[in-house]
Amino acid sequence: MSTTTANGAVRSQTGGRNLANLALRLRVTGVLVFLILLCIFFSLTTSTFFQAQNARIIAFNAAILVIAACAEAIVVLTRNLDLSIGATMGLAGYVTADFAARNPGIGPELVILALVLGALLGLVNGLLVSYGKLPSIIATLGTMSVYRGITYIYARGQQVTATQLPPWMLKGVDAMVFGIPSLVLVAVFTVALVAFFLHYAPLGRTIYAVGSNPAAGHFYGLRTDRIVLFAYVFCGTLAGLAGFLYAARVGTVTVILASGWEMTALAAVVIGGVSILGGSGNIVGVAIGALVLATIDNGLVLMGMPEFWRMFIQGTAIVLAVTVDSLIEGRIQAIFKGKRRLGQQQ
Amino acid sequence: MKQRFSFSFQWEQMLFVLILLAAAWSAQLSPYYLSFEQILNSTRQFIILGVMAMGLMVIVILGEIDISQASTLAVCTVVLSKFSAAGLPIWLALPVIILIGSALGSFNGILITGLRLPALAVTLGTMGAYRGLAFIIGSEVGYTGFDDTYMWLGSSYIAGTAVPTSLILFLLVAFAFYILVHRSVYGRMCFVIGNNADVARYSGIRVPLIKIAAFALAGAMAAVGAWIFVGQYGSARGDNANGMVLPLVTAVVLGGVDINGGRGKVLGVVLALLLVGTLGNGMGLANMPGPTQTIVLGMLLIVSVLLPNLVRQRSSFRIWSSFRTRGGRVPVK
Amino acid sequence: MEFDRERIQIGLPRLSLHDIKKSFGAVCALEGVSFDVQAAHIHALVGENGAGKSTLVKVITGLEQPDTGHVRLDGVPCRFRTPMEARAAGVTAVYQDPKLFPHLDVAENIFMGIYPTSRFGMVDRRAMYAEAERLLTELGMPLDPRSLIAGFSVAELQFVEIVRAISTEVKVLILDEPTAALTPSEADRLFQIVRQLREGGTSIILISHRLEEITEMADTVTVLRDGSHITTQPASSLSEEGIVQLMVGRSLQTFFARADKDTSKVQEERLRVENLCQQGVFENVSFEVHAGEIVGMAGLVGAGRSEIAQTLFGITPPTAGRVVLNGQEVTVKNPHQMLGLGMAYLPEDRDGQGLVTALSITTNITLPVVSDLARLGMLQPQRENALAQQMATDLEIKAGSLEQAVASLSGGNRQKTAFAKWLATKPSVLILDEPTHGIDVGTKVQVHRIITQLAEQGLSVLLISSDLPEILAMSDRILVISEGLQVAEFSRHEATQENIMFAASNISKAHKL
Repeated sequence: MSTTTANGAVRSQTGGRNLANLALRLRVTGVLVFLILLCIFFSLTTSTFFQAQNARIIAFNAAILVIAACAEAIVVLTRNLDLSIGATMGLAGYVTADFAARNPGIGPELVILALVLGALLGLVNGLLVSYGKLPSIIATLGTMSVYRGITYIYARGQQVTATQLPPWMLKGVDAMVFGIPSLVLVAVFTVALVAFFLHYAPLGRTIYAVGSNPAAGHFYGLRTDRIVLFAYVFCGTLAGLAGFLYAARVGTVTVILASGWEMTALAAVVIGGVSILGGSGNIVGVAIGALVLATIDNGLVLMGMPEFWRMFIQGTAIVLAVTVDSLIEGRIQAIFKGKRRLGQQQ
Repeated sequence: MKQRFSFSFQWEQMLFVLILLAAAWSAQLSPYYLSFEQILNSTRQFIILGVMAMGLMVIVILGEIDISQASTLAVCTVVLSKFSAAGLPIWLALPVIILIGSALGSFNGILITGLRLPALAVTLGTMGAYRGLAFIIGSEVGYTGFDDTYMWLGSSYIAGTAVPTSLILFLLVAFAFYILVHRSVYGRMCFVIGNNADVARYSGIRVPLIKIAAFALAGAMAAVGAWIFVGQYGSARGDNANGMVLPLVTAVVLGGVDINGGRGKVLGVVLALLLVGTLGNGMGLANMPGPTQTIVLGMLLIVSVLLPNLVRQRSSFRIWSSFRTRGGRVPVK
Repeated sequence: MEFDRERIQIGLPRLSLHDIKKSFGAVCALEGVSFDVQAAHIHALVGENGAGKSTLVKVITGLEQPDTGHVRLDGVPCRFRTPMEARAAGVTAVYQDPKLFPHLDVAENIFMGIYPTSRFGMVDRRAMYAEAERLLTELGMPLDPRSLIAGFSVAELQFVEIVRAISTEVKVLILDEPTAALTPSEADRLFQIVRQLREGGTSIILISHRLEEITEMADTVTVLRDGSHITTQPASSLSEEGIVQLMVGRSLQTFFARADKDTSKVQEERLRVENLCQQGVFENVSFEVHAGEIVGMAGLVGAGRSEIAQTLFGITPPTAGRVVLNGQEVTVKNPHQMLGLGMAYLPEDRDGQGLVTALSITTNITLPVVSDLARLGMLQPQRENALAQQMATDLEIKAGSLEQAVASLSGGNRQKTAFAKWLATKPSVLILDEPTHGIDVGTKVQVHRIITQLAEQGLSVLLISSDLPEILAMSDRILVISEGLQVAEFSRHEATQENIMFAASNISKAHKL
């Protein structure tokens, strides 16, 4: 099946030509198919899964994860990792909630505090990786513990109870707009924003470039350092937003807010088709990946299975996703290196 | 490259000085510090860490990484709990969990060498998968019914003294690793692979085997750590050693092992463990809460890699440009 | 691609090189090269391996800075510090290794960093695809600008690179071996494009070993030899043979003349290779090497000689063919195995693949045999030191102490260390890949003496070299590899620089000179 363009090129011919190209394109579709299969599975094995009410619950649960996963994805696209995203969410969420508790009557401008905090925390990561030349695992492993520690020190053993939070915050999170939870709308908006940025902004495109072939990036004059720094800042900002929303959602904000979210966010990212080797994948896939995880959680609960199967599934999913991506990448690199034409005899 | 070697020598000296400083600080913080028993007892804080760090060290020298060790430990502790509940004698249970630990480690190794997957990503996945496995096997309740034979290693002392038995084990392990890393053919090959895996391969070294062996060894060390763990804490649960990744990586990196591979000393890691232990001891005596201690650890991790990087960026410029004029490689054509 | 026609005045060259000198340490890559490239000309740059062509290109595009001399573009002196600067001024080079982003599509690769933007600074994707399509159509390339380039063939990748190059105004386009990986029809299309560009006013510098292409396509030819400029002439005044003679026409100073071998006694056959193939790289390579023989393997860079060696040694096992080593047929699997069977391989990339520069001389020398020297798996420093000491003395390695790192040695001593390493394994077949590449003359002589002695002691040597005098002086027989095929074999007496070069360049009519 092909159409012809103006210059005689046969469209979609190249898509079918080889596995690598096809695989890259199909990665997101694959996740969607997987999600559908999951839904079918849970619908068959439980009686309560296949209901509109349940779908709303899943979407609600997934919303914050979607935002965190978008944040993580931006960094992963550049061939780096951010293991501190949970800690960033926790610190930004706690400080913001605490601030709100101390300044009753504050309005939605509170969100800005969370965003700025997140951006700063992301900036530190970015500086360490881009300019300190730290491997991203070392840098973010370190900042993860530092940020958690700071949260702890800041809290001085207190927690912020729901009653101390401004009512608009608590109610806003639970509110419905045209029957859709507001959280879901925020998540959708975030996905759209990030997707638009990555697809249309020159800076967004360079993020893909840097992850796809850093050496070529240098050659093209791309400022790799700045691009990676920006990726971390953007990630931190979104993490701040996610932390704020999470704090609003749980109401009682403790210092262990969003513990372990880095693994979940990462799992959503790799399941969603963003290669951990950088340069490929899109945000819609990531959102679907987050939905997959939320669906699995939900399904497990409805099936009465203990919650810690989730960790096992997450880990296995990462291993599988990495395997698939590495195999694809291996094919791409092999073809990329090129082979010679043997013996041109005139 | 002489600069590189002298730098490494200074590193151990620096660690030693830091340990003394940390000890002085701890002593000043609390009168309880300077007692022999207290210090010996406090070593328990880092013995489990130390045994596992030895295994991780070899992997890092090879130029790889493994962040799933702590999860492997958890699998081993819950398996031990199953064995204990079933009444299996320890001398039977122990070899089995060492096998299990090695198998889990080898799985990592096979994925990394056979399928050529990036070590960080793979062990990120197995970290979660093994942890989940530990929960599945162990259930959320946790087991505390270990009998004395299981708990012997982690809780006993050498006849009549205040020396923990597990400390002796750690010293033995450290010595064994010293022999392995610095005196054996295997260790030599690890250093070569970490410096330049291609040269290693072209020189006839069977790189995949060596790597898989290193990962298996790290898993086995996690199993040994599990044995000490059940003795020291008397319980086994899926979340055992959760978060041990940070001190593990810190100990290795702080010990002067280059995260990019090819360089490192067992003595350095032992000193780093001592430093971390002394600091932890002092912070505990000062009643610093856990998360604060984690901040210190996190900063240590960052600084111990950042500092050499910054120094290298300054001086590498000079070294590198002097190489280019020294009859180095001429570009082909 | 219309240019300001006033700029193209008769007499003012597009690109002008004055007395360019460039050295890397002790080795001089370019010695006072000067010539002009006219506007709207296809200007070929030829020379053997090591003549200085790629260094010159790096100087022109700003990857390297000349020690002395300068470059003028349209009469204006310019000094580029980065390739991006050069591109902005209109000077672009397209190399063989693709500097592209495999996960992005064609249009993005073309416009990375120079996107057409709409208001708010966002990428105007429609304009981008339209422009990409326009460029592709203009050059007659049937590529869909929306397809990901992962999985493109080498030819297609190259086309994308070229489109990328011409997407901005280009005054001088440098093509480095553009047809190396192309089929004849793809090469034809490429040259159509090149001609089109010339019509548009662009000057094209074409580096190629395919002399037939050069005589057909080029307007002007510049010949470099050993870093010096030999001549720049209109292509019509030169024949293929004439070009070769200019490329190699040095007087043969034999640094070390190897005495003719006594061929009365035929020695045993050590290595026999039959129809060796590495899919996509080379095929049907067949030869034998006897004890005490030095067989040279000549050819152009990229012909596949190193790949043949690496296939024999097991680094990339063969896809087909038969290997018989010391009388036994061998299924080549990995270096560990081949090493154990008595083969040794000295890679071309000394510092990257031959030695671990951060480790000591002793460690490097004893590396392949460290298990044999050990006892119960434990290292034996005395035995290692003894071996290293002996090799260092035999090969005259100059170092303060054998414990110092290899990185502190000069190039020549490093090469001797690499030799020592492989000789310590007591091989029966030694494959040397460019053994005197990048080392000083004095050490070259020493190395040649060593190789000769080894052969006299009965070692079989396969000598891969781009240094024609060296290969002529050292070899008993010379095989010539061209583009993955074995095209000729010469005995010691029949071989000359010219006929080796003819064969390597695939000139079908090779006259015996």
